Parts: sequence; C-alpha cells; structure tokens
Amino acid sequence: MIKQELTYWVTLALIPKMWTKRKNEIYVNCFQHEPKISIIDLFENSSNWDIVGLNEFEKTQFEEAKNQLANSSFLVEELMAQGYDILPITHKEYPRLLKVNLKFNAPTVIYTKGNKTLLQSPSIAIVGSRNADFNSLSFTDNIAKKASAENKVVVSGYAKGVDRQALDSAVESNGKSIIVLPQGIMTFGSGFKQYFKHIVQGNVLVMSSFAPKAPWSVEFAMARNPIIYGMASEIFVAQSDDKGGTWSGVIDGLRKKRSIYVRYPEKNEKNANLLLIQKGASAVDIVGGTLSLSHEEQKTPEQLKMEKLNNDIITILNSIEKISSKDIISRLQLDWKDDKMKRYLDNIQQAEKIKVKNRIYYRLKGKTEHGLFDVKN
Amino acid sequence: MQDIITRQDAEIKLKTIFGLDHFHDEQWKAIERILRGERILMIERTGFGKSLCYQFPATLFDGVTVVFSPLIALMRDQVRSLYKRGIPAAYINSEQSYEANQDAIQRALNRKIKILYIAPERQENVDWIEATRQIKLSMVVIDEAHTISTWGHDFRPSFRRIINLVQLLPEHLPILATTATATKRVQQDIEQQIGGQLTTIRGNLVRPNFELQVIKVQSEDEKMIWLAQNINSIPGTGLIYTGTRVDTEVYAKWLKFVGVNATDYNAGFDAECRQSIEAGLMNNQWKCVVSTNALGMGIDKPDVRFIIHTQIPVSPIHYYQEIGRAGRDGNPTRIILFYNENKDNESGIASDLRLPHSFIEGARPTINKYQKVIALLQNEPLSEREVMKLANLKQTQVRVIKADLIDQGIIKEVLYGKTKKYEYQFNAPTLSTTYFEELREAKLGELHSMEQYIYTDMPRMKYLCTFLDSDEQSDYTNCDNTNLEKLHVTHSPILSAKLEEFRESYFPALELASWTTRKGGFRICISAPNIFLVEKTVNDENGVVIERPVVEYHNSINVSDYSLEEKEIIKEHLGKASRMVNGYAASYYGVSNVGAAIHRSKYENGGDFPDFLLKKTLSVFGKKFRGTHFDLVMYIPPTKSGNLVKNFATRFAHVIKVPISHDLIKVRSTQEQKFFQNSYSKQENVAGAFDVYEDIVKGKTIVLLDDIFDSGATLKEVGKILTRKGAKCIVPIVIAKTVGGTL
Repeated sequence: MIKQELTYWVTLALIPKMWTKRKNEIYVNCFQHEPKISIIDLFENSSNWDIVGLNEFEKTQFEEAKNQLANSSFLVEELMAQGYDILPITHKEYPRLLKVNLKFNAPTVIYTKGNKTLLQSPSIAIVGSRNADFNSLSFTDNIAKKASAENKVVVSGYAKGVDRQALDSAVESNGKSIIVLPQGIMTFGSGFKQYFKHIVQGNVLVMSSFAPKAPWSVEFAMARNPIIYGMASEIFVAQSDDKGGTWSGVIDGLRKKRSIYVRYPEKNEKNANLLLIQKGASAVDIVGGTLSLSHEEQKTPEQLKMEKLNNDIITILNSIEKISSKDIISRLQLDWKDDKMKRYLDNIQQAEKIKVKNRIYYRLKGKTEHGLFDVKN
Repeated sequence: MQDIITRQDAEIKLKTIFGLDHFHDEQWKAIERILRGERILMIERTGFGKSLCYQFPATLFDGVTVVFSPLIALMRDQVRSLYKRGIPAAYINSEQSYEANQDAIQRALNRKIKILYIAPERQENVDWIEATRQIKLSMVVIDEAHTISTWGHDFRPSFRRIINLVQLLPEHLPILATTATATKRVQQDIEQQIGGQLTTIRGNLVRPNFELQVIKVQSEDEKMIWLAQNINSIPGTGLIYTGTRVDTEVYAKWLKFVGVNATDYNAGFDAECRQSIEAGLMNNQWKCVVSTNALGMGIDKPDVRFIIHTQIPVSPIHYYQEIGRAGRDGNPTRIILFYNENKDNESGIASDLRLPHSFIEGARPTINKYQKVIALLQNEPLSEREVMKLANLKQTQVRVIKADLIDQGIIKEVLYGKTKKYEYQFNAPTLSTTYFEELREAKLGELHSMEQYIYTDMPRMKYLCTFLDSDEQSDYTNCDNTNLEKLHVTHSPILSAKLEEFRESYFPALELASWTTRKGGFRICISAPNIFLVEKTVNDENGVVIERPVVEYHNSINVSDYSLEEKEIIKEHLGKASRMVNGYAASYYGVSNVGAAIHRSKYENGGDFPDFLLKKTLSVFGKKFRGTHFDLVMYIPPTKSGNLVKNFATRFAHVIKVPISHDLIKVRSTQEQKFFQNSYSKQENVAGAFDVYEDIVKGKTIVLLDDIFDSGATLKEVGKILTRKGAKCIVPIVIAKTVGGTL
C-alpha cells in the first residue's frame, strides 16, 4: 500500500454522518469498477462519484471530505510518528476474521499498536460484566489461561471486571492478547504505559476503530462490542445481565450463528447466563468444559420457582370448579396481596377469569359445563 | 482547482504587490506548476528569488501556505517584509512566547494570514498539531531543503517528520522545496524523499561578484594580525566566521582591542540579544560581526561586503552555503578563507583540520551510550530529561542518539498526555552502525575536498561549482588562482606586542548575574558591585508591549525617576534580586597551560595551585574590581577532602588584604560535578548542599572563589544561599572556565 493512500483511507473513515456499511460499499464499488478506481482517484476525481453511485448528499459529504485531506495528512503523520499502525480494510494485515464476521459492517480503518501478527492468529473473546462476581472472574482466568496454553489470542475490551481479568490472565500466563478499545487509540496513554512491556515483547496488541483522538464514550463502548465478537472464532461469556453490551452482543452473535460459550452459573447467581443458554448458547463449566444440559438444568431458579407455583395453582384449579384469588392465596399459604395474585393469574395461560355476581373467580380454561365452546375453538 | 493565471496577468499583480516588473523564466516556470498543484524542487543560488515562487502563489490561494524553515532569523525578516507589502503572515518558533505562537496559530485557523512560517521542530508541538486538524492548507514549502537529507550538509532530524508529512499530503496540494546548495546526491535524495511527481529546477550557481582568496598561515596569531592590519581597508561591512563560540568572543574582543568596530554573536546568546545584533547588522552598526555560522543564514541583507572564515568549514558545500550569504546585490564582495597549515601539534595534522576532524569524529556518542539508552527505553517510555538523568548523558548526546534511534525505527516519540516520551517499539531492529560508518567516511571525504580547495590551482568558484555538480558554462575568474593577488601575512612587531598585551588582559566572563522575574512592569538585575539595571515594560493602551528600555544606575537607583507606586515595585524587586553579580575567570581551561596546572594539582597530587595561577587570578580581580571595597573572601568548600581551594583563597585574601572566611559549609555530601553530564543533574547534586550563618555574611560584599567554572551550578547555588542570608554583593572569581559548556 502506498503511504499516501492512508491519508485518503483515514479521511473516508472519518466522514461524519455516513454509516460504515455505506463507506465500505462505496469502496467496493470503486474496487469492482473496470478499470479499478483507486481510493485516491475516488477523492481527487469527482467524475468518479456518479460512477460509484454517490447520491447528491453524499457528494457534498465527499466535497467536504476532500477539503479535509490535508488535515488528515497531519493526523496520519502524527499517528505514524508515534508508532501507531493504520490498517484500511484492504490492507493485507487487516484482520481477516473481522471481515468474515462483520462483512460490510467491518470498520473501514482500524488503528493498532503492537504485534500485528496477532490479528491473524486463532483467537477467542472473553466477555462479561464490569461488576463480575468471583465465579465469573475465575472462569475468565481459567479460559484465558487455557487459551494461552493452546496458543490462542485472547480478545477483550479493557473494561473493568471480566475484560481486565481476561487480559491480565493471558498476559500473566505468557499468552497473547488483543485489547479492543472503546475510544480513540491516541487517548490510551495510561494503558500503553501499563502494558508497555507486553506490547514491546509482542504479546499485546491494542486496536481501535474510532477516530484516533476521540475520548471514551458509552456509544463507543457499545459499538466496540460487535468488533470484539467479530475478532474471535469463539466467544466465552463469563457473566451477562439481561440487558447491556454483553447481552446484546451475544444475542447478535447467536443470530449470526457464532460459536458462543456461556458459563453455567451456580444456583442463586443473579445473572442472565442461563437465559443465554436457553437462547442457544453452549453451556460450559468453570474451566470451559462443555456441558450437555437437560431441559430442566437450563432453567433458572426463578423459572423453576415459577413453574412450581404455576403447577400448584393449576392443580388447585383442576380440583375445583371456580375459586377466588384470595382462596388460592390461603390454600398456598402465600404472603401475597390479592391484587398481586390477580395479576399473576392473568398471566397464567391455562387460567380463566369469570365473573359471578360481581365477584371474580378463576377456573381452568376449558373446564366448563359448556364443553361445546371447546369444539368451536 | 485554481484557475491558472496568465503570465501577463500575474506580472501585473507582481507589480502591484511586490513592485517587480517581471518574473525570471525559471521563477515563472515554478509558479505556473505550483498553481497547477504540482511538486517542485528548486535548486537556485542565494539571491535568485526563490521566496517569490511561493509568496506570489500564496497571495492567490484562499487558504494558508505553510513554510517549514529551520531559520528563525529568516522568518522574522520575511514576515516583516511581507507585511510591508500588505501580505499578512506570521511565524511559529521557539524564540517567540507561547502567547505569540498561539496567536499565530489562531490567525492561521481563522484564515487571517496567507503565509505561516514554522520551525520544523514545531511539527512536534501539541498546540500546532491540534491546529492542523482545522487549518485550511493551500501549499507546503520546505525551505533549505538540503537539511532533509542526511547527505546534506546540515541535516536536521526534525525534518524527518516533515518529509513523512509531505509523503502523506494529498495529490492536488502544491509543494515547493527550495535550496541553494545541493550536490547531485543530495538532489536525488530530496527527490526520492519528497516523492510523487516532482519537477526539479536547477539553476546557475556561479557567483561572479565573489573575490575568492585563501590565506595560508602558521598560527592563530597570524590570522589575528592580518585581520588587525587589513580589515578596516576592506570596503563595507561584513562577517567573520569562527569555528567555535569561544573564538567569536576572542576575535571580537581582539578586534575591539585594536580599534575595529566589531561585535560577537553566537547561538549561546539569548533571543533578545541575537535579535538586536541582527538588527544592528542590517543597519551596518559594526564594521564586522564575529560569529559562528549560526548568523547570516537567511538574513536578507543584500550588501554583506565580505565574509572571512578564520576556520575552515567541514566541506565545500558548507563553505559555499556560508559565503552565499554575502554580496547578494551583485557588487564586488571579498571572500577570504584562513588556513593554519602548521602541523606542529600532537595529532600531526594541519592545525585547522583538527576542529572539523573532531566534529566528524565526535558527531556521534559511542555505541555503548546508544545501547545504554536502548536498554532504558526497553524497560519503560521515558522523556528526554529522564533519559539524560538515568543514562547520565549530555542533552546534546541524548538528542543525537534519540534522532538516530527514531531514524532507524527503534524508538518513537510518543505523546503521553502532553509529555513527549521515547518509546521502544515492538519488532524494533537492532542498532545498525554501518550507516554511521558510511556517513563518517562521506564526511571525511568532504573535509578532504575542502582541504583541496586551499591547494587547488583551479579557479576557486569553478572548484566549488564542480563539487556541487553544477556543470555550467562560465568564465571563472575573480580569485587568487586567476587574476587576484595571493594574500600573505606581513609580520609586525608592534601588532605582535599588542596581541601579547591583549592576551594578558583578556578574561572570560562568568555570567552569573540574573534578572528578577518580570512583575508589575519591572525587573531588575544587579550586574556588578553597585550597578543596578532596571527594565521597565512600556505598554500601549491595548496592553501590547511597545518597548522595554533598560536604565543602568550606579551606587543606587535614582528614585526620582519613578512614581511612588513604581518605587514600591522596584523595592520589592530589590528585595528578591540575586546578589550574585557577573564575575570572571583568569583563563579558559583548555587554551593555555592553566588547565594543565590545575589538573596536576587536583588529580595528580601536584600540591597547591602554583603561584602563576594566583598571580593571574589576582590580575583579573585587580583589573575588573579595582576601587570596589570588599568585606570578605569566601570559597567553595571541596566535594571530598583537600584544601586546594581553601589554601588558594587564603593566599588570595592575604594579598588583597581582605579577611578570609571559612564559614561557608556543606550540610550534606555531594558528588563531583564533573561526574554529571547534564545541568539538571548538576543542579540537583548541589541543591541545598551549602549553608552559612547569617551574621557572617549579612550586608557584606564578598569575593567568592573557586577553581573551575563549568556549568556554574555550584556558584549559582551558593549565590542563592548567600543572597538569602543577606549578603550585599557576591563577586565570583575562578581560575579557569571550561570551554563549550555542557547543555
């Protein structure tokens, strides 16, 4: 790649208000054009803009971007002088797996520092909550060490909790690690200082797909997750809540049929690991061994408790023609308010509400004298 | 894309803005291409009008033209003259205050200026880097482009980043690189580095108005005698270039001693002082300015009538470059080179080859020092200052090492927050020394070619042009190998005696007096016993500084010159002012038998300092401070045991009949200052190491003695403590001052 092209690539990557997907599409159009349009010609020669299918708004965006080229040169020079590598999506050192996994949504340019061969090495990602519990951290530690022993690169996101544990465990066991930053690569001074030796020794690579000087933000932290997932062949989930970055990342990964391994939690753990397993992620034990779980074993304690309660209620309904919610509470010896039970019963599919002389009763659906309605259904 | 202007239209504009009727064909050729967004390398002699080739297009562009130039003096000159023509311009460099640089950046961002000059090392400056994200750039100029080539005669590592930048600039952005001096090899190197579609325009290098002469001599004395005899009969004003900073002082003092109106100038002077000498040079204030080659590069004076080198430069290209600053107006100009060919010295080579030899051989620290720095940086990223301290290296050495390591891709300069640190790189190559070796060989070869200039029988201009690979057709005359006389030194007993007398009375100064920090529009400095300098800042109604006149008072400050309020401010300054004044050394350490004598006593168990040192020291003291009443002689207590300085001071005090005090003591042990290679460490070594009882020094005028003055850190520290304890005045006197300084 000619050095000068980097200026153009960085300019493309920095165009505001244009999706990465669209940027990649435009370049693919250049690439597929006969004769091929170089990234330089794309900017310098505006007669190419119709050819690659820019709409009028995009043309104004490119016009503005063209004026930014010289400014990008300064930025690129600064990056290079400070030892950062710039890898456009066409670069031979750009991580292949990321392109395979994210396709057109792969970052147009990534910025790295450290041992770039790690980008093409077999890799696993370990993800999880910032407030991970002891089990999650020891799981992370086990998985990172195991990966290191198998010469796999551990990809993580440099957040507190699981991310940092993954990195530190990999590094500690002389393994290799990739840090995917939720910020511009030039704003990572303290991290570079802390992991300097590991970077110099080739054990750690730092990468970012954001504007090099952009500070950390929640949006970046969210946008970074798919990249972590995209960088790895296997994804290990130490601990996930039922919302947030880890959760949505896994859900997205499952949809894309990625290999995702979720730690099977101990009883009473308050996290959404089992829910992910129910949604199709593979369950693994604390050392990463695969578990084949029965249907029952995939259920969370809450789910089990609820099932039992439902069963009990249905048993009662089954034994009686109709019953008030108050009576159900007293039969089950629950410490519930009447309203709560009513709401609960509303959610039980098999239960049905009937009104008799202004009083509300419940009965089992279909368990009526008027059997002919069932037939109608 | 810029609409291309016709030459005719351009020349109409040229007339109105620059007052010139026409472009030279080569100028227009360059300008036309620049307007088309092309890249140009111009190799044209000094005075050709290279600047116009970017200044004119800059007036047509709507953005800013950024000119990278290593010459700060040139920036000032150019900006001034552009302003006269109504072209707004500014510069960013290290000599200017932070606020002024910020202001220049701001104006560039707001497109209030057309041309921005910037020193290449500013490319590493955080605020400028920030600004480059926004600035509307129209053109980039690399002035003195030979400095981007390591084969060029004045390679600047900070230009490395400029080259990287140029390689990254978009295709449509015009780039102009200019130089007056480039051999084919340097030209190719520049072409290759700038890359892209580059057109080289190479012009004629002959300077027919130069009268080139060489004077072979057998001693330094002969040079000084010839100058004393002849300089006033050379028409006009000009420059004398010496090889070292010390020599600028020695030669200037000598010329003044024999009644020549001369002054010295070197890069060791502060910015204000340099600017005032540069201004004086422009106004022909002196017959000659004696300078290192730091002066003159880029000074736009058309009528420098002579340039005399007392020391042979390291290569013909240096020589051509340095003499190139003379005679731009095309009128006859004397160009004289002295050469001391006497081989009667320990190295057995011509005396004047020793200095350039040592430059070449000493250009790089030893490989060990490189390895030491590498090992430190492998451990953690460090700042320049940290490297200096941890590796115990001089700043100059660290800078050379760091530039080489960056060049070889072993380390990078990385910003950690706002601090620059040097960071060892993953996959860094091992240090290659073959390149150093090649460069050394090349430099020795060039020095040899310079030596050949002395002895050649070719027309001298032809010799220089041939060396610069300029194959032009010209009648080469105008030198002592063709039509001019060969110059010799005529011996003069009177001048020899005068020179003797000069040497006896010439003492190196120790500049230890210091100004207070500017506050309330004033600062003061006590420069000598009972001499007070008061600087007043005068602002206009907008608070912009108009001038800062300095008034010198003897004995006491004339308070009636100031308002009541000002008096209070001055009083406050007086309370804070350092009481240490400028002092003297009896001699330079290296230039006579003084150094050897001190060394014998100090390091070879040679006993007390010999009488002649005492005599010499008393002589400087007598000459400089006759009439001043002293209360006390004090001396710097030794690092280890030993009474050399104590005994010396006692003898000194006895002769001048002033009481000796042994009360300045060390409160903690220090190491020998010479162990530390840089002034940071030296300052740290002595900070808070001394103490004395207040009663002993309060209100006293004190002679403070030491043997050797190097960085001055110890004397400054003692000055601080004596000032704090109430001394009235402290006069530092030492036997010898080392040459060069360390930082």
